[in-house]
Amino acid sequence: MRGSIRALGRLAGGLYLLLLYLFVMGPLLFVIATSFNPATSFPSRFEGFTLSWYAAILERPEFLAATGTSALVAALAAALAVLVAFLAAYALSRQGGAGGRGAMATLLASPLLVPQVVVSLAILQLASSFGIGTGFWGLVAAHAVYVMPFALRLILTGFARFDFAVEEASRSLGGGPLATWREVTLPLLRPSLVAGFTFCFILSFVNLPLSLFLTGPETATLPIVMFAYIESRIDPMIAAVASLIVLAAATATLLLDRFLRVRLVD
Amino acid sequence: MPELVLSHVTRRFSGHTAVDDLSLTVRDGEFVCLLGPSGCGKTTTLRIIAGFERADAGSLTLDGADITALPPEKREIGVVFQSYALFPHKTVAENIGFGLKMRGRSRAEIATAVEQALALVRLDGLGGRYPRALSGGQQQRVALARALAIRPRLLLMDEPLSNLDAQLREEMRVEIRRIQHSLGITAVLVTHDQGEALAMADRVAVMSQGRLQQMAAPAEIYEAPATAFVGHFIGQVNVLEGRLEQVDGRTGLLALPGGLKLAGAGQGLAAGQAARAMVKQERIALTRAEPTGLPNRFPCRVVERTYLGGGIAYRCAAAGASLTALLPNHPLFERFAPGDAAWLGWTAADCTIFPG
Ligand SMILES: Nc1ncnc2c1ncn2[C@@H]1O[C@H](COP(=O)(O)OP(=O)(O)OP(=O)(O)O)[C@@H](O)[C@H]1O
Ligand SMILES: [Mg+2]
Repeated sequence: MRGSIRALGRLAGGLYLLLLYLFVMGPLLFVIATSFNPATSFPSRFEGFTLSWYAAILERPEFLAATGTSALVAALAAALAVLVAFLAAYALSRQGGAGGRGAMATLLASPLLVPQVVVSLAILQLASSFGIGTGFWGLVAAHAVYVMPFALRLILTGFARFDFAVEEASRSLGGGPLATWREVTLPLLRPSLVAGFTFCFILSFVNLPLSLFLTGPETATLPIVMFAYIESRIDPMIAAVASLIVLAAATATLLLDRFLRVRLVD
Repeated sequence: MPELVLSHVTRRFSGHTAVDDLSLTVRDGEFVCLLGPSGCGKTTTLRIIAGFERADAGSLTLDGADITALPPEKREIGVVFQSYALFPHKTVAENIGFGLKMRGRSRAEIATAVEQALALVRLDGLGGRYPRALSGGQQQRVALARALAIRPRLLLMDEPLSNLDAQLREEMRVEIRRIQHSLGITAVLVTHDQGEALAMADRVAVMSQGRLQQMAAPAEIYEAPATAFVGHFIGQVNVLEGRLEQVDGRTGLLALPGGLKLAGAGQGLAAGQAARAMVKQERIALTRAEPTGLPNRFPCRVVERTYLGGGIAYRCAAAGASLTALLPNHPLFERFAPGDAAWLGWTAADCTIFPG
């Protein structure tokens, strides 16, 4: 009797998880399925299987160029964010820092609370008030500001497991400050630095609102190009693009989990 | 001559003085233990010597050269950390060889030195392991080997044995002394365990509230405490407060509120002064017959008996005073039960009186 109740409970739990996954993943699965659907309108009934939408991407040079732009922006923004977050996390985690540490961490995380469109607009205004164009670097700056708090979270978690005494050990053994960072601090924090970079890269790569006011014809990112494309027409090619992005992001996340044992959520 | 001299070293943390005008000398080849209660500034002192912490005032010399402003990597001082602070991403051999690598030594030279260091701490063959694959005791030995591999001028250890179980701790006391002696290295060990300090040190430096109380050989610290703090802190001690009735040079008669009069010895005593007498528990005889040879002897009643294995502690009441006598657990010594009438007795030399 008790056994069957437990089995029932387990079944209910399993069902709940399945529904939850479906709720989160369902739309995604629909998009992926659509990308293989030969029907030319979107959404529509499934009529078969084709790879032609993927081939169609290759005929749209603006998508390839935008992918390059997005990757470059994402790489630079992620690198900048990780650098800033590492230095901040180092200062916040070291012993001896007086009170206000919590307040500092909150302040550094505050870009999370500002709507991204506002960040984008603010950078545009700032740049124009100095009479300079925003251009490529304005775009990178906006993305870096937005993704930095995510890097900070991850790297702070890394520092929570870091015993600063190893730095002193290195110093007492003759390692100068730079040698100590190279030999001890950075290698020990590498997992959270790599994870921080990867997540920042993904977040920047797929982000639309940050770029809304900051891109020009030369600097259109992939989400901007996609946005422009679906304004004029909707066909499954855009689903094919989205599916490729999901595939890349999922692969990166799985690799992190597998090789660095770092998760976005613990 | 690797001699370490601290003169008037002071360190304050936001108004609180962790190390207060500390002056002491560690002689060449000497093993000194810094002993004191939690928070008295031992670790801070060690960190100042290592160069991890700056001194707000005062100076340090090593080998006669001023090292006060020298960064840690230039001091040639080996440090064993309480947490060991081994590099988790490096093998045991890489940990031990790290200091020599920083000095740009050749691979062959480092390999030889690592082998030697491993042999010294009796960990031959474990060079390829990672620290997490070692027991606490083995990690401790690696930490020691790593600090020694650079042939430091001075070896510092902060509570190196506190994470080991009791038996291993006893073993490592002997082991650390053996290694220190065989290398002839000057060493400073921080501990709050007086047994450890007395057993290991050539000289013990007792600290309290950032100040040096006394620095002397273990027997002198134990038998001839220089301050009331040391007298109270070292050993199992009875403290009796009263007023000095008679003083004759270094000896005095202390009257307790309950009427007992204790003969003892001390410095700077004056008649009429409030004072404290300190008597170590094991220096008190507890007998059924009156101990007529002892100047301090009082009839008492046994109140409580605590069996300690190696000894038996009896808490006794005598004229309003409470005293504990510690007797060896040996058939030659009488046994008592709570309620028994008995005599307490001790010599004047075992009764140290401190003014105040
Ligand atoms: N970085 C710091 N900032 C503020 N106060 C400190 C700092 N380091 C030490 N202190 C204070 O200085 C005093 C001495 O500390 P220290 O660590 O030297 O004591 P200790 O003798 O080693 O004690 P324990 O036996 O507990 O290790 C303590 O009151 C401590 O709180
Ligand atoms: Mg300490």
